[in-house]
Amino acid sequence: MFGKKKKAIPKKYVAIIIVILIIIILVIFSFTLRNEKKLNPVESFIRDITIYIEKIVTYPFNYLADKIDDYNKLKSVSKDNDILETSIDRIESIEAENIELRRQLEKMKEELNIEYTLSDYEYLNATVISRNIGYWYNIITIDKGSYNGVEKDMVVINSKGLIGRVIRVSTFSSDVRLITTSDTNNKISVHLTNGDYDLYGLINNYDYNGNFLEIEGISNTKDVNIGDYVYTSGLGGVFPSGILVGIVTEISTDSYDLAKIIKATPSADFTDINYVSILKRKDAK
Amino acid sequence: MLWVIIYLFFSFILEGFMSNIFFSTLSDVSIFSTIYTIVAVVVIYPYFMNEKKYFLIVGFWGLLFDFVYTSTFPLNLLIFLLIGFIVKLLNNLLQSNVLTNNLISFLCIVFYHIFSFVILTIVEYGDYNIMLLFNIIIHSILMTLIYATVGYFIFKLIFSKFGLKQIK
Repeated sequence: MFGKKKKAIPKKYVAIIIVILIIIILVIFSFTLRNEKKLNPVESFIRDITIYIEKIVTYPFNYLADKIDDYNKLKSVSKDNDILETSIDRIESIEAENIELRRQLEKMKEELNIEYTLSDYEYLNATVISRNIGYWYNIITIDKGSYNGVEKDMVVINSKGLIGRVIRVSTFSSDVRLITTSDTNNKISVHLTNGDYDLYGLINNYDYNGNFLEIEGISNTKDVNIGDYVYTSGLGGVFPSGILVGIVTEISTDSYDLAKIIKATPSADFTDINYVSILKRKDAK
Repeated sequence: MLWVIIYLFFSFILEGFMSNIFFSTLSDVSIFSTIYTIVAVVVIYPYFMNEKKYFLIVGFWGLLFDFVYTSTFPLNLLIFLLIGFIVKLLNNLLQSNVLTNNLISFLCIVFYHIFSFVILTIVEYGDYNIMLLFNIIIHSILMTLIYATVGYFIFKLIFSKFGLKQIK
């Protein structure tokens, strides 16, 4: 009498509202999760501050770990020295070979109209400061960002081979998506060199149980051998040609017997990534 | 309130710190891994009288988690709020002691991983096997229990030693 009685929403409408909400949320997620969006200034600022605090906290532990590594290396310094001494004699001839190879490479680039090769990149070294929180994203965070000239889609490698590519950049840090991620939207084009010819394929999947990359698209009429090296092919525009990806460990054929399925162990050790290098194009300042 | 903020901040920083020291990839999940911020969210609940404040704080840290670690806004914001609701529900059903604290922490971690797995699979973020989900959950048990136990007793000690009351 003195106020309107609130009507309870019928249960069937509640169920419909919940379903609509779930659909809206999934649509939002499909947009925000699939697009490697640029960080807004607030996100970038908060990330950079947190990353700096983490760097300060982890610095003593990383320092200690480096000192222990150095001590272990010192123990084998005499043996390494002997090996290096035998290599010194070859340096002059290697330098001469290098000059000649560069000259030939420049000539071939002109003739074939190739824009970039690995020699046109400079290496920006970075330290890994955070790794794969939340597991599903297979991302590492490095301590170089836009301030250092890092841009999205730059390739990240280490001394052993390909690590991944930059997907997000803030001022002082960047996120790198590892090649072992099961990212079905970004397959990497690779080639295997087999004597006289190159075989081209795509990295389809990473098997986390067996630690191998699955490469598809290689014709069954071509020979592939166990132990062959897998390199990036340069096709696709993101990864330059010639970066070592892995080594062939198993060969099989698909169910239609038309193409080979190659299993390759990644050359980089993804359980121990402390330092990486970002490939910056020399003309990209 | 200050102690709550310090504890959450410490747990938040611990995520990056522990992930750096004990590296995990999809093929090699560390036994020292868990989501420390979620465990902290469970531990602090009994010290809040004002639930609105609790959910505000939980949502804020979920948002920070999105911004800093995963860049998947608003996924973790939503998950953290749902976890806050689960914590509230379970605390109303169970008595508050170290065992229930550990149980609720573990359940929340399981919920986090299952929810993330489902959402990421539905939107085809990646191609994940359900065995990987079990693998990650199993590897989370040890540190979840350790951190939840340590957090429970430290908070209990701080609140009793300083005579602090529930947060209004």
